[in-house]
Amino acid sequence: MGSIKRISKELTELTESPPEGISVELADESNVYEWKVIIEGPEGSPYYESPYSHLTVHVQRTTFLTLLQTTQNGKFLVKLSLPTEYPFKPPTVSFATKIYHPNVTNDEKGSMCLGMLRPDEWKPSSKIAAVLQFARQLLSEPMPDDAVEGRIAEQYKNDRGRYEEVAREWTRKHAC
Amino acid sequence: MSLSKPTWNHFGIHQPFPEKQNPVGFYRDSLSSSFLSPVALSLSAAFSHPISSNSANMNALSADEMERFQKLSNSYQSDVQGPLVSTKQSSHSIALDYSNADPTLATKTNALAITHPECRIMKGDGNCGWRAVAFGYFETLFALRDTLRIETEIRRMKSLTTLLERVGLSDSIYEIFVDATEEILNRTHAAIQNGAQDESFLVDAFNEGYCSDAIITHFRILTSAWMKLNPNRYQAFLPMPLNQYCSSRIDPVKTEIDEVGLQALIDGVIEGSGFGVEILYLDRSEGDVVTPHQLSSNNPSGATIRLLYRPGHYDILYPVEPLNMAPIVNLQYGMTSDYSPWDQAALGFDVNSSLMAIPNLMQDTSFGMGAPMSPMPSVSPTPASPFRMSPQQDMYQSPMPTHAPIPPIPVSPPPQIAPPSSAPPPMTSLPSRSSDGPQIRLNPLVMKPNLSRSLPVTTPFKNSPYNQAHFQNSDFEPIHWEPHERR
Repeated sequence: MGSIKRISKELTELTESPPEGISVELADESNVYEWKVIIEGPEGSPYYESPYSHLTVHVQRTTFLTLLQTTQNGKFLVKLSLPTEYPFKPPTVSFATKIYHPNVTNDEKGSMCLGMLRPDEWKPSSKIAAVLQFARQLLSEPMPDDAVEGRIAEQYKNDRGRYEEVAREWTRKHAC
Repeated sequence: MSLSKPTWNHFGIHQPFPEKQNPVGFYRDSLSSSFLSPVALSLSAAFSHPISSNSANMNALSADEMERFQKLSNSYQSDVQGPLVSTKQSSHSIALDYSNADPTLATKTNALAITHPECRIMKGDGNCGWRAVAFGYFETLFALRDTLRIETEIRRMKSLTTLLERVGLSDSIYEIFVDATEEILNRTHAAIQNGAQDESFLVDAFNEGYCSDAIITHFRILTSAWMKLNPNRYQAFLPMPLNQYCSSRIDPVKTEIDEVGLQALIDGVIEGSGFGVEILYLDRSEGDVVTPHQLSSNNPSGATIRLLYRPGHYDILYPVEPLNMAPIVNLQYGMTSDYSPWDQAALGFDVNSSLMAIPNLMQDTSFGMGAPMSPMPSVSPTPASPFRMSPQQDMYQSPMPTHAPIPPIPVSPPPQIAPPSSAPPPMTSLPSRSSDGPQIRLNPLVMKPNLSRSLPVTTPFKNSPYNQAHFQNSDFEPIHWEPHERR
């Protein structure tokens, strides 16, 4: 089937030359449709953690993130699920790591669905790499007008300082 | 073919829901595809009243409620029924849909059912225009039954990938789409070699989700690449920068094709096959027939993909088959007007059209056997008359039972004899066969001039069994003659 062929090629490309701040692997080697992605908070965003504050929250790391303890940036575990109709339907992206962001639902799902990921805006010629880069870019530049968390969007627009403070705090707490 | 501004202006009128001005955000394709159907019309009439009278209440809705409605509207998916590509069916079904609608539409669809007796319905899921062209392409190719041509097409489709490379798409992205098109081309090749009876293998392939999506995507990305590589040809017709247009109107799944996109699809993907593409527009513009429009510069008399456009929706149409008509036509008219020198030399009598119209005369070797081999310079071809009884019609047997006593049929005299105001005196015998003019009572459909407007119809078309007025047509209905009626 063509979709598995395409997914395998994309996976190979992504593991051989991963884009900046992104690394991927299959959640289960036997299933190409479920991916485990680590997105590093981009520099300059409140999701980018400095080495100093990193040390103070060392004890709160989750088991998964201990694997990545040698680096200092905020690291977000993102689950990428590809539908069997891929590439004719978009992948779904969800944050397994809690994140304070206007475009990510603040619940156990942590789902993100906007722009190129919307079913009616999805292009079969879009690469998974582009999806992940889009998600990472969203950490630098939230889109408050397409928010799923209206309160955070309000705060982002009206009280940027406070928003960044909370986002940084959550990053320290959950993503390091 | 060159794009012309007025053409697009013309199209613009028929777009009922410009995408960005749709305040309610209905799922556009499904609604507008049925826009003209009586049901949709009555529905919209039923709904428009309460909404307008309650507009004050609409404004009073809280932001939360509005947001909820917006979400509902955004996630609205109409329940579109039916296969992605239907089997061939009678165009009368389209005419039936409009029988109670606007009289213009009823007239046009009725005329359409005669000039294009068959159609194929595409599912209105946003891909209908793309699907119609793609299916039409494969079907036309299959109908030619030319394996060499398919091999050429396989090479051409592969070579088009250079367009994709030039706009920066990588092989890993597009290869599965190209593979799908190639696969169906190969299947078509095999079907011809195996002597497949009909195109059902194509219908099956296009109703298979992955295959259908992949081919449509292939055609989409080729169109998008073609436009990006020929921006000067299209930019002037676009409401936005070309790159933005491609990424919002061509590339995304299930975005309906619009007029510019369709033209680019024809130019970039179909034109190279040598097929013509003709769109017949069904709208409420003046006239009795749908408005035909050639979208390709290819010879319209060659293999042509014909689409029916109703605002927001495309289907495939099949005209009466002129290729199958040709032998019938040529036999009759060749006898009366095209004399080869060999025939002239062999005949020892005055060749005139009346004699030549007798079937099998030329095969009778007893004629002219001992005649001198002198040329016949006096032969002048007689222009073929559409009223002439063809040999085929001579074989027509009266549906009336011959054993029953036939009452004398009163026949009105020719119009030039009776004054139009007075009632014709009844006659007890048929007028003499030798009188001038045909003694055939013509079905008015035969004489209807505008039926032929959408087709390169020649006069013999009217004598074809594909014509509804022909007695061999399955839909033929004899005209009921009333004594008070004049010929």
